[in-house]
Amino acid sequence: MTAAAQMKPASMPVYLDHASTTPVDARVAARMAEVLNSDTEFGNPASASHDYGDIAHALVEQARAQVAAAVGAASGEVIWTSGATEANNLAIFGIAQYYRERGRHIVTSRTEHKAVLDPCRELERRGWRVTYLVPDRDGLLDPDQVAAALRPDTVLVSIMHVNNEIGVVQNIGAVGAVCARHGGAWLHVDAAQSVGKCPLHFASLGVDLMSLSAHKVYGPKGVGALLVSQRGDRLVGRVQGGLGHRGRVQLAPLLFGGGQEQALRAGTLPTHQVIGMGLAFELAASISSLETVRVAQLQRRLWQGLASIGGVLRNGSAMHSVPHLLNVSFEGVEGESLLAVVRPHLAVSTGSACTSALAQPSYVLRALGRSERLSESSLRFGLGRTTTERDIDTAVAVLSREVGRLREIAGTRAAKVAAAVAAT
Amino acid sequence: MIYNELTRRYFESPASVGELVSGPGVFRGAAGNREQGTWVQFDLRCESGTLRAVRFLAFACPHTIAVSAWLAEQSVGRAVTAVLPESVADLRDRFAVPVEKMGRLLIIEDAWLAAAVPAIDYEG
Repeated sequence: MTAAAQMKPASMPVYLDHASTTPVDARVAARMAEVLNSDTEFGNPASASHDYGDIAHALVEQARAQVAAAVGAASGEVIWTSGATEANNLAIFGIAQYYRERGRHIVTSRTEHKAVLDPCRELERRGWRVTYLVPDRDGLLDPDQVAAALRPDTVLVSIMHVNNEIGVVQNIGAVGAVCARHGGAWLHVDAAQSVGKCPLHFASLGVDLMSLSAHKVYGPKGVGALLVSQRGDRLVGRVQGGLGHRGRVQLAPLLFGGGQEQALRAGTLPTHQVIGMGLAFELAASISSLETVRVAQLQRRLWQGLASIGGVLRNGSAMHSVPHLLNVSFEGVEGESLLAVVRPHLAVSTGSACTSALAQPSYVLRALGRSERLSESSLRFGLGRTTTERDIDTAVAVLSREVGRLREIAGTRAAKVAAAVAAT
Repeated sequence: MIYNELTRRYFESPASVGELVSGPGVFRGAAGNREQGTWVQFDLRCESGTLRAVRFLAFACPHTIAVSAWLAEQSVGRAVTAVLPESVADLRDRFAVPVEKMGRLLIIEDAWLAAAVPAIDYEG
């Protein structure tokens, strides 16, 4: 018996954590298996001296074109990485290193993913200055905040597109315009949560660098990409006091050892992973608007069901968010107990980082002004292609029952209100 | 977080949840703070130095709820004393409470004593 089989309970909980990762699409898995089992497609894509290498190279370039087409980029702008975390690191450290003589200031926000915040913290330790913008209570940044934070020595602005905890969509186009006017700050966008969930067009957003991930889009884990703009018309250097000049973004690599990926990311490409990402992105781009409407209806059903429990607060803007994600806080319920009662029934993410016996409240929700208690007693529901109405109804029924029980044990007022409502 | 079987049982099906109607021989004690993440309350009803009924409320983690429920259940019929029916160290072992949560057991003890000490004084 495999380790996974030994761990699997008799009845698995309903999966509502698609924002964390998605199951691999069967068509993607089949194509990857074909490549892995092939006698002709196993070559090193960088081997130009024989047909095996040429075949693998052609497959990699086809996948590159699929990813580029799905996000409105050119094929040459796609740099393969091991995932969005590496892409974020390459963007942030790559810019910092390349432009270190021009400036050492970065602008980002408090609600970014750790894969952006931790590199920024590391750069602070190395002497860079970082400005952390605070979003409003809905999780939204005002582009004017970005403009106000820019300094003559700012070399990078890193703002995510869709927030991974609350699903809020930032106005990246407006931030891009701010950076373009500044003339010295490159714009990096973590778009790991965006593909297949909302419109995304790299070329028209005024973005210089964009991080992508395969496993959030029904592709395999272990592969992603950094889009590096090839636009040569970006106004740069104006903040140095001159009129500036036109140019394109440059990066210093993090890995050395073979010159692959335009010398930005050395290492033999994993052909089957790359092919999986290419097909996953092609499939995501072909998702019909009906599917988006279906997921939006499910999210509405979920929110209405949870709101009927009473004492449930929605986190993040309802107007400016993707339908695939809903984050709520439960009043009068302790966070660890909430997770304990939910876990047997629902696979969701909590507002706590349980890295030790004592949970830490979500820094994203704290940045929105939520109290520690409400940040800890929050749940993130990630809806996806496999989510059904029955899943949603199960989630509402479980939470209605268990939250009521915990509130009764806690003697909180909301429990009395809920009990009174139930009694009527 | 991993919970042992006893913790799971008393967390999932805690008896003695609630409050006692105030009156002669009924004493209430609470400790902790909901805003700090842990709050426990015990209501004790004493007759002739013996605990006749115990109820509890807890805004707390599963360990704290389970220990509070167990104490409420086990103490009925026992003499009211100025100590917990079982020591904090024994409770820690019985419920496999992580060392990081020892402070929560002390909150339980404080809540218990806040109710028990006036009860002892009342009984004389």
